[in-house]
Amino acid sequence: MNDLVLEVQDLTGPDDSPIVFDIALQAWRGGTTVVLGPIHSGKSIVMRHLLALEEARTGSITVDGERFDARGESEAVVRRMRTRFGVVFEGAALLSRLTVIENVELPLLEHTSATSEEAREAAQGLLSEVGLAIEQDTIPVELDRAAQRRVALARALALRPPVLLLDEPTQGLDAHAASELDRTLGVLQERAGFAVVIFTREARYAFGNAKRVYVMAEGRIVDAGDHNSLVDSEHPVVRSLLRRRGTE
Amino acid sequence: MTSLGQPVTTGSRAPRSVVAPTGRILSRGRLALGALYWLTWLSVSRRIPVRTGIQRELESLGVGALRLVIPASILVGLIATFQIASQLLEFGAQAMSIRAIAWFTAREFGPVGAALLVVARSASGIAGELASMRAGGEIDALRAMGLDPVKYLIAPKMAALLVALPALTVLSDGLIILGGWLGTTLFLDYSSSFFLEEFRAAFAMRDLIVGLGKSVIFAFIIGFVATDEGLNGEGRVAAIGEATTRAVMYSVLAVLAADTLVNVVFYFIPGLA
Repeated sequence: MNDLVLEVQDLTGPDDSPIVFDIALQAWRGGTTVVLGPIHSGKSIVMRHLLALEEARTGSITVDGERFDARGESEAVVRRMRTRFGVVFEGAALLSRLTVIENVELPLLEHTSATSEEAREAAQGLLSEVGLAIEQDTIPVELDRAAQRRVALARALALRPPVLLLDEPTQGLDAHAASELDRTLGVLQERAGFAVVIFTREARYAFGNAKRVYVMAEGRIVDAGDHNSLVDSEHPVVRSLLRRRGTE
Repeated sequence: MTSLGQPVTTGSRAPRSVVAPTGRILSRGRLALGALYWLTWLSVSRRIPVRTGIQRELESLGVGALRLVIPASILVGLIATFQIASQLLEFGAQAMSIRAIAWFTAREFGPVGAALLVVARSASGIAGELASMRAGGEIDALRAMGLDPVKYLIAPKMAALLVALPALTVLSDGLIILGGWLGTTLFLDYSSSFFLEEFRAAFAMRDLIVGLGKSVIFAFIIGFVATDEGLNGEGRVAAIGEATTRAVMYSVLAVLAADTLVNVVFYFIPGLA
């Protein structure tokens, strides 16, 4: 496992009122890591800490070979850390005041020396990579949920990050749209080799090609391993989550 | 009655911050300094989509306010004329109402009236939009991409307000005077030439400049208060209404407080008046 691209150690936070405790997780280049847990188990808070959207009490995040403290880093360092991650939030979180294409070109205009024309061309290329052909003035609300999620994916990959974070990536999508999105994600991952970290309560991700599955409950990682080892877990939350998968 | 089994929930609640992010994203100092910095940057940058954002905000905050500012300003002119004329009736000095319009419009009625109309229409809109963006995760998405919300969301709104409010103030000045002219010529039986003569005798260009200066201050205040309330509230849908209410309330108070301060300064430093 030499392709370690993300390592989180001893993460506890948020600082003012901790909700997640002693989180340690890893992700590998080209591999998929799943953080699985029931609602309110703290998965999304862990993701917010990776993006420095919350101030942690303790912990460190090593991404793409550079170590960052999970608290107290300067704004410039935080910005640098954030560019190592692409992120697809639950519900896509596209900027409603911008057009779809502007949403995708935004990180390029901010973080690269691309001209407006180059950024627009790159944005259209990214949208095409995720299977979308979008007209120039289309705004996010004109798209259905599945297409919005794809736009969010294109935006997340704009800077070719080494790690892609997805929070409940197929939440609210029908089964067909969800499996199509998973398939697109798989193709893109294979092509670009980025690490994928999925924060989800859907146990089906644990049964896919996940390299490692971390199970969270009440703010802590209660078990970790591949799906074969988790099937034998004695922890009630793990058993409950995996049993639910069995009935799906 | 048969049992339906064990309860499926213990009734315990998740901490609020698990459900939605809370707390301030930016301190007020950082918001104000960031807005000034990015406003300066915007004045020289040609990068899209921030500039297209300003155009949209101008349409929304400026052009969109015309439907309110035009009729309201004419009505203020009419009301002021009748109110002043009726007070001066017993002294036979109704014509002074024309001078009063000339004295007060550019310095007070226009800038304060336009600012309060913009507060009524746009402060709630700005705060509501930002609060719903916070609740929908859009602000977090921006920050997660390493983008500054002040640059992409606040500065375009501030820039649009700084252009729109002075423009609306000049328009409002003109329409209040129009309302005054309508009142004095149609109902008080003075001629247009008499109106113009009296108006010119009392009007000072300095008042227009002071009024425009105040409108710039008011624009920054409205933008600052509304964006602060929208951006830094609790990130949940139920908090959107609270943010809009606070934005309107504090904007009105801040505009009136700033106007009072300017008036006090001008009163005690006669050379400025």
